[in-house]
Amino acid sequence: MQPKNKLEPLLYIGPALLVFVFIVLVPIVWSVGYSLFEWNGISNMRFVGLDNYKRMIGDEVFHSAFFNNLKFMVISSLYQLVVGLLLATILISITKGSSFMRVIYFIPCIISSMAICQIFKRLLSIQPVGLVNYVLDKLGLEQVAFIANPDTALITLTLVDAYKFCGIYMIIFYSAFASISPDVVEAAHIDGCNAVQSYFYIKLPMIRDVFTIVVVMLVNGCLKTFEIFYIMDNRSLSTEMVATYMYKTAFSSSSFGYGSALSVFLVVECLIAVSLVRRLMPKTEAE
Amino acid sequence: MANKKWSLSKLFFTLFLMIAMVIQTYPIFWIIMSSFKTSEEMSMKPQYSLPSGIYLGHYVDALTTSNIPRYYLNSIIVAVFTLLGIILLSCPVAFAITKLRIGYGQKLMSFFLLGMMIPVFACLIPMFQVYNFLGLRNTYLALIIPQIGFSLPICIYLYTGFMSFLPNALMEAAVIDGAGTGMVFWKIIIPMSKNTTITILTFNFVSIWNEFTYANTFISSSAMKTLPVGLNDFVGQYGRVEWGSTFAAITLAILPTLLIYFILNKHVMIGMTAGAVKS
Repeated sequence: MQPKNKLEPLLYIGPALLVFVFIVLVPIVWSVGYSLFEWNGISNMRFVGLDNYKRMIGDEVFHSAFFNNLKFMVISSLYQLVVGLLLATILISITKGSSFMRVIYFIPCIISSMAICQIFKRLLSIQPVGLVNYVLDKLGLEQVAFIANPDTALITLTLVDAYKFCGIYMIIFYSAFASISPDVVEAAHIDGCNAVQSYFYIKLPMIRDVFTIVVVMLVNGCLKTFEIFYIMDNRSLSTEMVATYMYKTAFSSSSFGYGSALSVFLVVECLIAVSLVRRLMPKTEAE
Repeated sequence: MANKKWSLSKLFFTLFLMIAMVIQTYPIFWIIMSSFKTSEEMSMKPQYSLPSGIYLGHYVDALTTSNIPRYYLNSIIVAVFTLLGIILLSCPVAFAITKLRIGYGQKLMSFFLLGMMIPVFACLIPMFQVYNFLGLRNTYLALIIPQIGFSLPICIYLYTGFMSFLPNALMEAAVIDGAGTGMVFWKIIIPMSKNTTITILTFNFVSIWNEFTYANTFISSSAMKTLPVGLNDFVGQYGRVEWGSTFAAITLAILPTLLIYFILNKHVMIGMTAGAVKS
């Protein structure tokens, strides 16, 4: 419909636009500005140019955070992709109970990271003995300090994180499979295509775009990971991530300048990774 | 032969589904179950055993000796006002984009969608400085404002997607009868968008209830903490010795989201996956 005058639409758009610009867009520009200064939040800001970025190159904690983050990204993405796809594939092929099971599998996604962390801290605890170590002991196996031991901490936290979020990818793959027209599958069946063939040669290629979206989401999400690794921190380098390091630098050590530089790095890293994924993933021929 | 192979794979699939089901639910089941055990039961019997009865002592402890009721109240206040803000701000924008001839609707939409690419961490330090300067730290506003700002893009996107499918006929009839945009918005668009509103309310409730980063950054006074951060404090204080009340506290903290999820799971799933896909 035609608005009364040019100003009337602003009544609807204005408030949200203001909130959005001032809360989301202004701070990010601000962050870039901060990253050029040295500042502890109290004394005067000192302009240092690109020194904060140079410091990153020589910072060993940052290096291990960066590589931990990459390791985490690869393992976690693979786990979530495989489990999500497998569950969706099976659920779409069964007739009874599929929607009930989807609801069940999604539960970890709606539980707060804090609660998930507290639950797993207790499940995996060694002193006092948690459930997992209790069972290991009863089976005659050696008990493991999953979180405290730097050798096992990264993989343990990675699996906890992947565990929490894999339900989302199951739902995405499931809706993608559900949107494939049954006519196509039936036509293939009449032509003598068996279930396995139709899965690999028809269904999977048809949801190729969804694959790209999922990989972009996984890469993007994993690079920014924070909560699980911050909460279950074992105070060693083995579980440091880029975001947790940035957070601690800014809010525990009060180096706001260097922290801002790290947060700018995080944004740029995500943008580069996402555009890389988009370039590398196969495109649909139709377009 | 083919038949036998088929049933074998079916067996394998069923087994896989069952194992996945146990993995996805057991940790939560274990917590809830353990919260009902008495302390003796917990130390004497194996941890996977079921409780012999429903013992509520740990709940009484958690609710009376700690700040948990206060955390609950804070979480509820933050959730209510954030949700209100999200709806009040995003619904009108979607209406203007889809139903008003403004000419720049598409551009406006892409502008808002830009916000989905911005990670919260990139804004955290300036936000902290500004809230500190304005004296907003340790207030509800420090939690409400950023959560509204960052959920606007996805909510506007969801509303716009829905409203673009609303037929214009009813609206045009109202305009012929002399209704202005305000009337059309309140009397036609809002009631018709009820389902989308429920989706937005439910999945945002889940994420607001679980929100940790802002609460951990902007709130330091115990009286203003929300449940996720409060739970951390509780565990720090009692967790080492008192596993029972810790289990009860965790159960209490996840109860509201679980309840909402069991009633409105379709909405939660739609909202959470839409939010994820778009970013």
